[in-house]
Amino acid sequence: MGQISPLRWLGLSAAALSAFIVTSLPSHGEDAGNLYNTAVDIRLGQRYFERQCSRCHGFDAKGNDETGAPDLTGRLNRASSDAGIFNIIREGVPGTAMLPVDSEVPDATVWQLVSYIGSLRYDPASVELAGDADSGARLFNGAADCSSCHMIEGEGGRMGPDLSRVGENSTPDDLMTALVNPDADVDPRWWQLRVTDREGSVRQGFRMNEDSFSLRIMDDNAELWSYPKNRIANYDRIETSTMPSYDGRLTESELDDLVAYLFSLRREVQQ
Amino acid sequence: MKKITLAITCLLASWQVTAQETAQEQQFSTVITPAFTPVTWERLVDARNEPENWLMYSGTLDSQRYSLLDQVTTDNVHQLEMQWSYQIPVIDRAETVPLVVDGIMFITEAPSNVVAVDARTGREYWRYDHEMPDDLRICCGRNNRGVAILGETLFMSTLDAHLVAIDARTGNLLWDVEVAAHDAGYSKTAAPLIVKDKVVTGIAGGEFGIRGFIDAYDPETGERIWRTYAIPGPGEFGNDTWSDDSWRTGGAATWLTGSYDPDLNLIYWGTGNPGPDWNGDVRLGDNLYSDSALALNGDTGEIDWHFQFTPHDVHDYDSIQIPILADIEMDGRTVKSMLWANRNAFFYTIDRANGEFLHGKPYATQTWAEGLDPVSGRPIRVPGMAPTYEGTLVAPPIVGATNWYSPGYSQDTGLFYVTSFDGAQEFFKRDEDYEEGERFTGGGGRYLQPMDAFHSSIRAIDPTTADIVWEFPIMPRSSAGITTTAGGLVFTGSADGYFFALDAATGDELWNISLGARVHAAPMTYAIDGRQYVTIASGNVVYTFALEE
Ligand code: HEC
Ligand code: HEC
Repeated sequence: MGQISPLRWLGLSAAALSAFIVTSLPSHGEDAGNLYNTAVDIRLGQRYFERQCSRCHGFDAKGNDETGAPDLTGRLNRASSDAGIFNIIREGVPGTAMLPVDSEVPDATVWQLVSYIGSLRYDPASVELAGDADSGARLFNGAADCSSCHMIEGEGGRMGPDLSRVGENSTPDDLMTALVNPDADVDPRWWQLRVTDREGSVRQGFRMNEDSFSLRIMDDNAELWSYPKNRIANYDRIETSTMPSYDGRLTESELDDLVAYLFSLRREVQQ
Repeated sequence: MKKITLAITCLLASWQVTAQETAQEQQFSTVITPAFTPVTWERLVDARNEPENWLMYSGTLDSQRYSLLDQVTTDNVHQLEMQWSYQIPVIDRAETVPLVVDGIMFITEAPSNVVAVDARTGREYWRYDHEMPDDLRICCGRNNRGVAILGETLFMSTLDAHLVAIDARTGNLLWDVEVAAHDAGYSKTAAPLIVKDKVVTGIAGGEFGIRGFIDAYDPETGERIWRTYAIPGPGEFGNDTWSDDSWRTGGAATWLTGSYDPDLNLIYWGTGNPGPDWNGDVRLGDNLYSDSALALNGDTGEIDWHFQFTPHDVHDYDSIQIPILADIEMDGRTVKSMLWANRNAFFYTIDRANGEFLHGKPYATQTWAEGLDPVSGRPIRVPGMAPTYEGTLVAPPIVGATNWYSPGYSQDTGLFYVTSFDGAQEFFKRDEDYEEGERFTGGGGRYLQPMDAFHSSIRAIDPTTADIVWEFPIMPRSSAGITTTAGGLVFTGSADGYFFALDAATGDELWNISLGARVHAAPMTYAIDGRQYVTIASGNVVYTFALEE
């Protein structure tokens, strides 16, 4: 077995721990159904996962673009309870590559998988944050002017990702990184392309989509442009972020408030 | 039949009737079936000289995928238009390369079905649905890559590790034999290869601790005539390249189709990774004949020579790529060569008469080897590149610099074409015990970057130097094969659903069409009544194109 600690799986560094405290990990309070949730079960579940599931979901369960298998470390799309996850593993997702596990696999093993997947997540309510979400919301829409680029629940700008659910698949640490080091992990959707046409004029915009023979961008005025690659002179990819770094621009406590606000942006959990 | 069509048509506005009637008339005016003549071994040997037909998975026994059809050329390929599409009724990816025999096309479908259609219209003659058990052990999705034909019989591998013979005129099952036990992890997806009076076929299951082999069957009865294990047993040469009993579960699956040289009477076949894939500690040694090219006697199946590309592989660099056999001019002499762009990112030119390594070079990004020994061709490893418990970043990633998708060769340009991927991945090692029928891989991998951050391209390689002559970039990561034609074209597809044609000499883009779904298959080309067609599967649809008449 690999010695990968649960904290590593959450993508948390020691530094991030100072920002917030995880009080229980994992939390199975709501699911008395799963009797296989000891540390040993989680390890066995991980072992089974690495062997049987990782080829599609990735060795870190963070999904894989090519197989279409989703990230299992954040909020799931098809299940909100342990029993729901159990059923997906047992029955598969019909019409997709997600096949049911072999009928000979004992229930205990499936519950161990459920426990392992559970250990990759955590109950957001158990996370204590230094910042204040309400102050964060005011900053977001006011002084820090985040909303000029980002939409939340249909309000705001188009020059950045919609953040309505950003708390679901990001840890507070991820969110802090996004604010102080935006270039760290830019999704290819938010790269930019600088396109030079054959007359020599240049147009730059977000890389909405690029395929082998064409590309589509959105410019500063939110105009959409589509180009066949063989009709342009050339294009460059800019893989850095257009979002400014707020390191030093905002105080530590303002950053904490924003993180608290962003972390609260999630759908209601229906049990 | 026509009456019914017309009756329905009458329900539509009357002005449409005349138009449709004429169209129907034209479409069905030629009856093709009686022209179908049995496919003898002589026809298969000479397949290149009947380019109107596509008689085997790789087109010809040398697997060049080079067609003499030249109606579609670099000048007019941009006028290709879709003629028909056939929707496979099963939603799974189509990796099929259809055969065309005298106007009839045979398409395989997931999981292991065949449909025969009129190659001019895509309309069905018959279908064969294979009965499948519900306890399959498959590593990588349900798919089938194609059939072989001899006489009037089709031969198909099935996912439950059977070989079946099907009547080409009716789809009736003639025989069905179990090649290996599917519940022990064996499966079959590749098209068999006909060699004289035998059906030669390999086996998949390299992620389940199987012991790979190549078999030959009697086409009449399905009786097995010989089996050559890809891992030598005790007392045989090479068995001592496996520590302890690891040879028993050493993998070396033979999961694609080989090639054949009638003059040398040698069958060439690639072998897969040693198992467990990413943990080499339990199988110390070179692990013969995993990740190798094997040359087998065409009558007895005995191993004539072997060339191991990646001794003691720990990265899943299967060497099942289709061997391209080409006679090339090198150093003032004609070399009967075997050309191979390996999953391990090196390109090799090998003397196919004796297995001698002639030269080789990387054709894609790789970090695991410093190079190849100039005499033996054995890789010189970079230390510290084996998978670890914590993860080791290595290029190429598990899917490889290329993989099972067919490369191509053009007799006009003398170039070799391969779909290549420049990627890297973190490789992990795990300890696992072998259990029959369970995955036995000893680890896995993960990408540290989004797929779009990597690069893919079609590369043209000069086999006399192993140099890259041109490359055409596409988005990562294509798993489409390549077909070349005497019209000066290279046809292939992309991961983002394009089918396209390049100039075989220069790599210039000549034509593309968005089919909308990933291309997992190789194109093929054929002709009926003097008209050239080009066919490709994308998603679960088979599309056929031709120039407007
Ligand atoms: C062949 C690839 C493949 C394998 C192997 C595989 N999965 Fe999946 N899995 C998928 C795909 C694709 C989906 C998405 C299905 C959908 O919703 O469209 C999925 C979805 C899921 C979901 C639901 C995710 C969500 O957001 O609701 C869970 C849970 C899951 N898989 C767990 C597993 C486990 C546990 C295993 C191993 C026993 C496994 N998978 C093996 C491909 C795979
Ligand atoms: C000039 C436009 C712009 C402004 C102003 C801006 N952002 Fe961004 N933001 C972006 C873009 C573009 C991205 C995507 C690229 C990246 O990841 O950096 C992004 C990404 C993010 C992400 C990561 C989203 C994810 O899905 O991971 C967060 C969180 C975020 N911004 C929060 C903020 C906050 C809070 C503010 C205000 C303090 C702010 N942004 C101001 C443009 C902007």
